Amino acid sequence: MSDIGSDGVLAGVKELSPIQKLAMHGLVFLIIFGGWEVGARLGYVNELILPAPTSIAYRLYEMFFVTGSIYWHYIITMYEATMGFIIGVSIGMGLAITAAISPVFRRYWAPYAVVFNVTPGIAVTPFIIAWFGFGWSSKIALAALVCFFPPFINTLTGLLHIDKDATELFRSLGSTKKQFFWKCQIPSALPIIIAGLKLAMTGALIGTIVAQFFSASEGVGILMQRFAFRLNMDGSFAALIVMSLMGLSLFTLMEYMDYKVLYWRRHSRMEEVGSKRKRKWLAENGDFSA
Amino acid sequence: MSNDQEASVSNIELAADYKGTLGGAVLRHTIIFFVIMFIWEMANRTGFSNPLLLPRPTDIVASIWKIYVTQGNVWYHLWVTFKEAMVGCFIGCVIGIGLAVAAVLSDTFRQFLKPYIIIVEATPRIALGPIFVTWFGFGMSSKVALAALVCFFAPFVNTITGLLGVEEESYELFRSLGATRRQVFWKLMIPTALPTMNAGLKLAVGSAFGGALVAEFISAQAGMGILMARYTMSLNMPSAFAGLLSITLYGFILFRIMEIIDKRVLYWLSDDLMAKKSVKKETKIRGELGL
Repeated sequence: MSDIGSDGVLAGVKELSPIQKLAMHGLVFLIIFGGWEVGARLGYVNELILPAPTSIAYRLYEMFFVTGSIYWHYIITMYEATMGFIIGVSIGMGLAITAAISPVFRRYWAPYAVVFNVTPGIAVTPFIIAWFGFGWSSKIALAALVCFFPPFINTLTGLLHIDKDATELFRSLGSTKKQFFWKCQIPSALPIIIAGLKLAMTGALIGTIVAQFFSASEGVGILMQRFAFRLNMDGSFAALIVMSLMGLSLFTLMEYMDYKVLYWRRHSRMEEVGSKRKRKWLAENGDFSA
Repeated sequence: MSNDQEASVSNIELAADYKGTLGGAVLRHTIIFFVIMFIWEMANRTGFSNPLLLPRPTDIVASIWKIYVTQGNVWYHLWVTFKEAMVGCFIGCVIGIGLAVAAVLSDTFRQFLKPYIIIVEATPRIALGPIFVTWFGFGMSSKVALAALVCFFAPFVNTITGLLGVEEESYELFRSLGATRRQVFWKLMIPTALPTMNAGLKLAVGSAFGGALVAEFISAQAGMGILMARYTMSLNMPSAFAGLLSITLYGFILFRIMEIIDKRVLYWLSDDLMAKKSVKKETKIRGELGL
């Protein structure tokens, strides 16, 4: 359903030096949070609605260093999200590859794919809880279900949209079906597949958290809900920040994978990989120029 | 993390190559569907699968009849969820597109918005559900707020990408013809951005439904989310499936409506509509000129 193209849209237009930029951003940040803090301290902002930034920060500190209660929830949530991600992505990509290879399967799978597309995955939460129980497995199942669609549709789109010229070149050079798949279809689909994986990563985290909201005994999601229902808002904001950190770390991981795998999309990486391969080739075959 | 994203809906190209007539294809699909349903039903009746977990297709059909006709209780819940999702979607899209336009028009604003956007993007936004329920209470407003929050991002990113994706050459043409800033915006940037913006809106409608449902799971008195949750908690699985199928159906209808709107608005992308539109404009101009 979603493919993502990337170009640095939000990249700044005005050229400031990095230090200047950092200073400006820092200043804006300080003004916003300073205003919020003062507002909360002076009672303009209700503590129950928006707790002061310092009390949220203190609560974070307490969670991580004093009681250390967050680590267990953190590990569980990450484990559930990652397992769900792996399962969902394997199923999604497996189905997509099958559909790309076999037109018959594609034809008969199509209506069900449409059904999956239009049903919000998280609507299935109550069923998943009823089927898989209140433990870890239900969270993993929901994460897998929520994140399976983007890799599926992106892999399929990527594998089917091959440049006509490239196809003809491969055919005229007499490539086998296998060679065509591995050397042409997969590399040209990789950027869009990885875009799908990025979406899936967020989806897996969302699925885990929603399943935890619905019913769980451990995990950051339930921690946050408990805090919120006890009107312990600084605690629930701290949990929210922990979730942001999770999202950011997973996002960075995907970006790193993007950077490593899609080396041909960045000039510097292309040169790096090219010179490495050249050295390897020369070592294997001997230097002809010498 | 310097890259930004563009979320878009690509049409499913699954059903591209039909052999034979359309009727034959429909028939084959129907036969396969009924075979699957028959196996499911039989597995259930012979006790290979637990009817408590996976209810029989016939039971599900009976429950659809029950909740829509005999009891008729589903209409109210559907209406509640629909209202929440649509109001939320509207608010979210207005905020998203508004922020995007502001960010495109002002470089400074864009610069300062950037780090916050990265954070908002990385946070699973649906996680704000419990906080919103505490802030806005157990009624409709918390669901609307969560739906708006969940769905504002896709229109936002897509509008920025679309508006900034204007070709340099077209921009130069506009400038050399002496277009004002406003004209550049309305006659160049908006039409260029519309396909991407519409793709973002399509995504937004879907995610607004998700947001409303999750908020209902957390706490609600009415709505499809709480209805399904109640049915599954009392292990009334056929009725819960009937609810899920209705959500699928309404999702599908909304999706089709968005696609039709998409086609109508982006008339220049389809040859038929383009021809019709130009004939209409021609007759209008002729009429005005009295030809």
